[in-house]
Amino acid sequence: MASIKQITVWARGVIQDKEGRDISNGIAAAADFEGKFTQAFDNYVDLPDRVNVPLRKYARISDEEIEERYEYENEHPEIVILADATIVKGMNVLRGMPKGGTLVVNTDRSPDDILKFIPNKELLKQIVCVDANGICGDRTVDFSGSEGGIDSVGIGAGVAAPILGALVKGTKLVKLESLAKVVKNNEAMYKGFDQAKVKTL
Amino acid sequence: MPYFKIPKEKEVPLGCITPAPVGEQPMMITGNWRIYRPVIEQEKCTLCMSCVIFCPDACWQLNAEEDEVVWNAKYCKGCSICVRECTSGALSTAYELDFEDGVVRLEKPF
Repeated sequence: MASIKQITVWARGVIQDKEGRDISNGIAAAADFEGKFTQAFDNYVDLPDRVNVPLRKYARISDEEIEERYEYENEHPEIVILADATIVKGMNVLRGMPKGGTLVVNTDRSPDDILKFIPNKELLKQIVCVDANGICGDRTVDFSGSEGGIDSVGIGAGVAAPILGALVKGTKLVKLESLAKVVKNNEAMYKGFDQAKVKTL
Repeated sequence: MPYFKIPKEKEVPLGCITPAPVGEQPMMITGNWRIYRPVIEQEKCTLCMSCVIFCPDACWQLNAEEDEVVWNAKYCKGCSICVRECTSGALSTAYELDFEDGVVRLEKPF
C-alpha cells in the first residue's frame, strides 16, 4: 500500500495533548470531506500523561481503503509536524522518513535555525515554519475527545489551527475550504496559511 | 536453585527490571522534556545548595574542587523549580533553542 500518506505529529505531553490530537484529527477529517480514506489515532507507547514528555499522534490518508488497521504506529511518515520546536533537540523526529519528506514546525525562528538542529536533513524536501503561538497565543489544556470520548471543545480551537493552515500551504494535502469546515478557529487557520514560511531544500 | 530446569532456548528476560544505576540511569533519560533551561551566573551564586536540594532529578551537583554547582543537561526536564528556589537570583530561564548544546536525541521516547 504505497499510496498511504503517513503523518506523524510530535507534541508535548499534557500541555499540548489536545493540540496534537487536533492536528491529526483535523487533517484526517478534512481529507474525509474530500472522499479519501483516513485514520487518526493517538500513541499510547509514549505514556502521554506526563507533562512535557514528547509524544506522537498519527494520521493516515489514502485514496484506497486502508488495510493495515492494527498497526498503531507510522513507521515511514512522509510528513512530520512538530507542535513544539524544542523537540528537534530531543528526538530523531525524521526516523523512518522516506526521502523527500516535509517537516512542519511551530516556531518563531526561521527555517534555517531549525535545520541547524537536524542532522539527517537530506531526507527533507521542504520545511515549513509557522509562529502558531504568536498567532493564537492560547493553548487548550483539555482532555476531551481523548480515548474515543466526546470532543466538547471542538477541533482546532487553539494553536492547532495555524499549524493546520501551514501544513496545507506546504503540502497541498487537502483543500483549505474543506479544512475550514472542520477547524473551529478559521481566522487563525487562514493567518497560519498566510504567514507560514516555506523553504524548499 | 529452580525446581525444574528451563531449556536455554526457552528462557525469557525478566520484565520491568533494569540494572541498578551507578551515578546515572541511562535507561530513563529525560533531557528531551525541556522547553526552558536554567542558566546560572556563577558570580552571583552563594553556594546555598537550594538547587541541589530542590531538584527532583538531582541535576544540580556540587563540584567541590571548583567550588561551584554543575548542571546536568542529560536529565534536566526544565521544571524551573531551581530558578524559583534560588536564594541569590543567580539562576534564570532561557529558551532551549538559543543553545547549541544539551542535545539529547533519542530514537524513541521509550
